[in-house]
Amino acid sequence: MYGFEFVTARDAAEASKLLERNDGVVRIIAGGTDLLGEIKERTIHPEKLVSLQNNEDIRRIRIYDEGVLIGAMSTLADIAANPDIRRMYPAFAEACISVATPQIRNIGTIGGNLCQRPRCWYYRNYHFDCLKKGGDACFALDGANKFHAIFDAEICPAVHPSDTAVALIAVDARVLLISSSGARMMPIEEFFVGPDVGVTTENVLRADEMLAEVIIPSPVRNSRSVFVKAKERQAMDFALASVALSADLDGEVVTGARIVLGGVAPTPRRALGAEELLAGTRLVDVNADDIGRIAVEAAKPLADNRFKVRLTSGLVSRAVRMLLGESVPEASSR
Amino acid sequence: MKSNAVIGKSVARRDLPEKLTGEAKYTSDIRLPEMLYGKIVRSPHPHARIVGIDASRAESIPGVHAILTPFDVPPGRLAPDLPILDRIVRYVGDEVAAVAADDEDLMEYAASLIEVEYELLPFVASARHAMESSAPQVHAGGNLVGGEPLVLSRGNVDEGFEQADRIFTMSFCTPAHSPAPLEPRAAIALWKDEKLTVWKTTRGVHADRMNLASALGIERDSVRVIGATLGAGFGGKDESRLSVIAAELARRAGKPVKIEATREEEFVAGRKRHSTETTLKVGVKNDGAITALHQTTLMDTGAYLASGPGVVRRAGQGALYLYRCPNVRYDGYLVYTNQPSAASYRALGAPQGHFALEVTMNHIADELGIDPLEFRLRNHVGIEGQPGERITPINEIVDTQPVEGGIPFSSNGLRECLKYGAKAFGWNDKLSPPLQSEGHLKTGKGMCMFIYRGGPGGRSSARLRLDSDGAVRLIAGLMDVGEGSSTVIAQIAAEALGAPYDAVRVTFGDTEYTPEAPLTAGSTATFSTGAAAKQAAEEMRANILGIAATHLDDDVSRLDISDGYVVSKDGNVRLRLADIAEIVGGHGIETEASIMPGSRDYIVNSFGAHFAEVEVDTETGSVRVLRYVAAHDSGRILNPRLATNQVEGGISQMLGFTLSEEMLTDTHSGVTINANFLEHKSPTIQEYPPIEVIFADVVDPVGPFGAKALGEPPSIGPAPAIINAIYDAVGVRITDLPATPDKILNALSQQREE
Repeated sequence: MYGFEFVTARDAAEASKLLERNDGVVRIIAGGTDLLGEIKERTIHPEKLVSLQNNEDIRRIRIYDEGVLIGAMSTLADIAANPDIRRMYPAFAEACISVATPQIRNIGTIGGNLCQRPRCWYYRNYHFDCLKKGGDACFALDGANKFHAIFDAEICPAVHPSDTAVALIAVDARVLLISSSGARMMPIEEFFVGPDVGVTTENVLRADEMLAEVIIPSPVRNSRSVFVKAKERQAMDFALASVALSADLDGEVVTGARIVLGGVAPTPRRALGAEELLAGTRLVDVNADDIGRIAVEAAKPLADNRFKVRLTSGLVSRAVRMLLGESVPEASSR
Repeated sequence: MKSNAVIGKSVARRDLPEKLTGEAKYTSDIRLPEMLYGKIVRSPHPHARIVGIDASRAESIPGVHAILTPFDVPPGRLAPDLPILDRIVRYVGDEVAAVAADDEDLMEYAASLIEVEYELLPFVASARHAMESSAPQVHAGGNLVGGEPLVLSRGNVDEGFEQADRIFTMSFCTPAHSPAPLEPRAAIALWKDEKLTVWKTTRGVHADRMNLASALGIERDSVRVIGATLGAGFGGKDESRLSVIAAELARRAGKPVKIEATREEEFVAGRKRHSTETTLKVGVKNDGAITALHQTTLMDTGAYLASGPGVVRRAGQGALYLYRCPNVRYDGYLVYTNQPSAASYRALGAPQGHFALEVTMNHIADELGIDPLEFRLRNHVGIEGQPGERITPINEIVDTQPVEGGIPFSSNGLRECLKYGAKAFGWNDKLSPPLQSEGHLKTGKGMCMFIYRGGPGGRSSARLRLDSDGAVRLIAGLMDVGEGSSTVIAQIAAEALGAPYDAVRVTFGDTEYTPEAPLTAGSTATFSTGAAAKQAAEEMRANILGIAATHLDDDVSRLDISDGYVVSKDGNVRLRLADIAEIVGGHGIETEASIMPGSRDYIVNSFGAHFAEVEVDTETGSVRVLRYVAAHDSGRILNPRLATNQVEGGISQMLGFTLSEEMLTDTHSGVTINANFLEHKSPTIQEYPPIEVIFADVVDPVGPFGAKALGEPPSIGPAPAIINAIYDAVGVRITDLPATPDKILNALSQQREE
């Protein structure tokens, strides 16, 4: 394994200082479940890793009337176990639980989950100097691409791997980015960028910045959210496709809705057409199949992933049915 | 006959405490003084000629002690197509050079400094492509191994198809499939006074010794191979260059060298199950009687041959022998490609062949309107064997994979397996209803049956020694690869001798102290080495009784050995085994038996029938196996707990083959793209169904204490049973494994269009 220097920073300010004026050779390490993998796979070669493992502040979950502040180093296990989060944002809690394995959720953090790199097997393999690594070719476009994007797949079809991002966009979360020169806050939806903006990254984070906090506004009084994820095996797997759906209700009418798709595009992707179809509709008039159909209207699958169109459409319909409170049988328990 | 004292008892496996407490020493745990760490430089190209290697930068680093390149290796070979290192590389990951250094970081660094100049050669990525006359040649002599297909036939299939009312033809694909053992392969080599000692992951120390000696050009007596505790065998762990490279590095460095494969290396440069394409053509009468059966299989052996010929042979045995049929033919094509090398993997080609056979038979049963169980009850081969004339000379041992008819089985519990299995599964009962019958979850049931070699292997030996404290030592060259042979064969020896199980000590897996032995392979250990152990124990028993009779001045016929004591027929204890050892003095008593296992009169085969209930989610394409029943005829079961574990393990392993696992290479570059436990989707505990294991408990007249083979057969049934159940659930027949969600959804979409 490639050697590197490991530094423990006391607080965010010191970590920011260490990140100053670096061009990617100094990296923040949180749980390390992805970063160390990337180093072992020889995908990245950082010289210095900065850890905030001894800082309690950045792993705190704080509940206020206005919403929730989640320190970036809160573990997925802690978030999923937080009763307030389970009550206020069930889709987000469910997304956290759906990640990987208990071992990984115990050490993997929300910040790391949002900043993790794609799982594209060409990007992750040292034999391929692909676009995402600064090379000049994409090997997935005419290679093996069954796990790849069905939306915006023209440049680099590696899908964004985060389950939690999908759920957080559905509840209109924001992220706080800090550096030694200041802080900025933005809707999490704007945090992620596609290959048309920058193919070697998936977000707007600068090399001298770190993601410090996730902020979720309080849900409106009568809202519901659900998260569903399809994977090839029940544990230890990334999404073939996932859907987070959040809806605000006024009596029997859906006043606003967000439908976000994961595992199908280079960024988490809102299904705006499907949202429009759902919003303003009385619950009794909602047609789950129509919403599922329109959610994949713009899909342009690659050679190996046509199945994802049907899968995603079905998952959106399933999420809508769950929202409506219809009993959707989970696969048999044994 | 008196009841058995040890046979049939679930004594705990011998190595259990060591494994559970972490005391067991795997190859990776062994550290020798001054030991160096070896790293293999691997090819980034699927096919290339090595023009030159510049290792000067690596050599100049302090702490680097030896470098090996194809330009300076000894000329020996591990196999006819496998020199120690070659100037041609044949797959991405093929061995190019090697380096030994003081520690693992240095070893990695030094390996990265070895510069290799390649001349790229055109490459061939698939068996189908390799068969074309214009295809690049992987080895001189052509891609088709042997220059022609293996053709086996009985009767006349053309005539058989003419007699048929209906003819069905179906085609199938199975992927390259890694055994994915938790322990990657490893070896440590130590030279002392011109003698080589190797500790390694292995399933046959004597075969390793022979291969190492011939490759290195030294006498067999100069090599000692010790099998450390093995972290799973499954047929793998041999047939690669790792240990010979370690040996040659150690010789040059003058220090011991350890090489341990990384997970990626184990996946890529380990060995795997052959990918196949199979076409099956079956002629039937309207009542279901089979008039002709013709299987053609194209099998990809990858860059090297290894055990390929045995694998392609075994892929045809189901078609040749499972169903009663006078006219059968099997054409097997084994082809080199520039893919990672395939080799032995649990049940060799039988799972691939039976997948095609048993899915086709279900299709035929459906088309004829016959229940699949009933179809098999009508058509399975009986104890009398196949129609036809015996060709094997009457005084020769009958092959366990015969083609000819006219030879009966020693025992055949197929019917019992079908009946007991169906009853336990509730084949004729209603299935547990889907929780929402009109929804997206559909349940279905499927079944299959299978036939496999019954245990006779090559010449097998066992030695027994009565130690001075009255304990008995069982000595055999076999490796316990985790299946439990060091427990079960000790049970056989204890039973035959009349000693308690705990009095039997075991020495296995070390060429220095054991007689020659075959690989622990082909499900032969219990039957073959077990039979040798039984004979050696019976001889020792006779010796002991003779010595006791003389000492006691009594008649042998009035004495017996029971629970470790020489007793009178009335049960009175006369002598302890330790007394016998003292009477004999000196070296104690030692007996040895070397036998050629098998029968001149009968085919010895094992059988089974598997039943699965699945649930298919038509929205996500995901398949869950809800429950599984496995009925096996493996003769008398010597240790029920170990046998049950063996069956459960085989099913769990092949659940991956059926639903999720395959080795994938990028077609443009030949690079393996899923050489890790994330993208190689081994099932987790969440995927495993409850498995009910049933043994027909037929007592075989040939096998030791009535036993037959069990190790591999459980891995044959899962693919056809589960795929047949998926069809029952949703009406799509998946003919291309694994049945991943994309294939299920694509098939369902196609079904909707039709």
